[in-house]
Amino acid sequence: MRLLASLALQNLGRRRARSLLLIAAVAIGSGVVFTGATLMRSIDDSMAVGFTRLGADMMVVPEGALTNITAALLTVEPTDLVLDADALDKAHLASVGRAAPQKIVRVEHSGIGSHHDLVDLIGIDPARDFTIQPWLKEKLNRDLRAGDVILGAGRDAPLGSQMLIFGKPHVVYGQLGRTGVGTHERGVFMAFETLEALAGSMPQRPAVLAPGKVTGFLVELAPGSTALQARFAILSALKGAKVVTGESSLSGIRQGLAALLKGILALMGLMFASMAVMVSVLFSAIVTERRGELGMLKAIGARRSQIVGMMVAEAVIATGVGGILGVILGVLVMRLYERSLVYYLENIGVPFVWLDLLQTVAFAATAIVLASAIGALGALYPAWRASRRDAYDLVRGEG
Amino acid sequence: MLACRQVSKSYKTERGLVTAVAGIDLDVAAGRFAAIIGRSGSGKSTLMAMVGGLSRPSAGSVIVDGTDVWALSDNALAAFRNEKVGYVFQFASLLPTLRLIDNVALPALLGRRHGASGTYARAADLLERMGLGAYLDAYPSEISAGEQRRAAIARALINDPALLLADEPTSDLDEQTEIEIMEVLRAVNREVGTTLVLVTHNLALAEQAQQIIHIANGGIVANGVVVA
Repeated sequence: MRLLASLALQNLGRRRARSLLLIAAVAIGSGVVFTGATLMRSIDDSMAVGFTRLGADMMVVPEGALTNITAALLTVEPTDLVLDADALDKAHLASVGRAAPQKIVRVEHSGIGSHHDLVDLIGIDPARDFTIQPWLKEKLNRDLRAGDVILGAGRDAPLGSQMLIFGKPHVVYGQLGRTGVGTHERGVFMAFETLEALAGSMPQRPAVLAPGKVTGFLVELAPGSTALQARFAILSALKGAKVVTGESSLSGIRQGLAALLKGILALMGLMFASMAVMVSVLFSAIVTERRGELGMLKAIGARRSQIVGMMVAEAVIATGVGGILGVILGVLVMRLYERSLVYYLENIGVPFVWLDLLQTVAFAATAIVLASAIGALGALYPAWRASRRDAYDLVRGEG
Repeated sequence: MLACRQVSKSYKTERGLVTAVAGIDLDVAAGRFAAIIGRSGSGKSTLMAMVGGLSRPSAGSVIVDGTDVWALSDNALAAFRNEKVGYVFQFASLLPTLRLIDNVALPALLGRRHGASGTYARAADLLERMGLGAYLDAYPSEISAGEQRRAAIARALINDPALLLADEPTSDLDEQTEIEIMEVLRAVNREVGTTLVLVTHNLALAEQAQQIIHIANGGIVANGVVVA
């Protein structure tokens, strides 16, 4: 009934300081939950992209090949040394989850850049690659084809434009984001067939461009396998190869971060639960304080449902407003993050993927609904108990 | 109109069971002005609360206008309090955050018997009759105690109750205001025919009634009809 709803609003206004403190507490709690959930989900998605980009747990290269190990990527410096392209497939190693072969050729006078520029042409198998394509910052709206090239972040050409390599036209299919690794920044990537088609134009046909040969493999461990197991298995199966691992155990990092995020989620849940208890205690005190008024309402004929409804409405209004303010606060905090931490991360090549608008709105709506629900549940029991009492006892302030 | 049969009320306390009202039998005819008189703690307010549906008796029954009040369900009891009984308390009982007109209209709005506009028109009329026509939009804190009591009487009458119960409605008022309030209550009884039961410790006020019930130690010690 409108007058009871109006009464609920006026009661909130009567004790302004208390109402504002309640709203503020719920706002902080909701803001933390909304921001935390959104950031965590974004971090989770970013990890998925990031770890997909990091991809390789180890490299398998010919003995004698020079390797570049950074915290983010494993790369091979261009070399004449080669491995058989089917070496890992033939070995059927249980500890190897995925293996992406690469061919790397360093060329001069290719027509890319200035005449004497050294350019790394890197061939990939698009179907098996998991370390290059995840870094694509932008690309044409189709699959990679023969004749397409992907540019490293250090090269600049419009998407879809023509690039002559050894006089042969190629289409700029996409560009990678900054990786901080030289061969990737200055490299030009293409499918194996595209690279092999250029062999005839090169002064000397590199050994790696021979059919069935690769510079090396980027390897991802199978779930549950350790780097040590995989290294042992690979070295036992492949002669003339060496195994290079990254600076840190990526699987361990993945698992550790996942556990950390779950722990944070649990803490947020506890915080929300404690907020629910606080609201319940507060409304228990409010109901006790207002029992005279509730008794009066009963005395003039208010039904129990109307009395409970009024108290619950009051709680839902306060906590609902707190929830909305919390979401607004959360958005402001995330803006701050975007301009500070996220900006820094992206500058050092660590990807950060924000949740899309629909998911963010869903999280916001959930935070507001949860805040309102906490108010409703917190007020429900004390209001129900009070509504059961004799009107006379309530009016006289007894019990 | 009103019949109490062996109505009792006891409370459990730390010192044991305390009996506030002990097995009272009482009859008040329709349209009568009855006064219940007794000292503080005699049980008169407790008896009134049981009659008005505000406090459940430990034993006995209360019949108002043919309805066994304490056999009703929760919602039916709420409807009884809303429609059959008007209660005037001994303290300021208006809701402080509502205007006078909202306070008076509230019981009718809760009962939903009439639309809002009809209810507010009737509330304005009642306040006018109580001499409070100029204070429709005032809040209780903006008017005097006597004016608040008159507004409370208007609220008690909004649903045309068969029974008007006034529990020491003038105990905290000055003599002049007390006279004014009693005039209003007697006018309601005389002109509208509403059965009026007044609880008071003031003999002078009780003597204005047609029936005087004297209560002491939870029981009736005298019950006389002054005018039939």
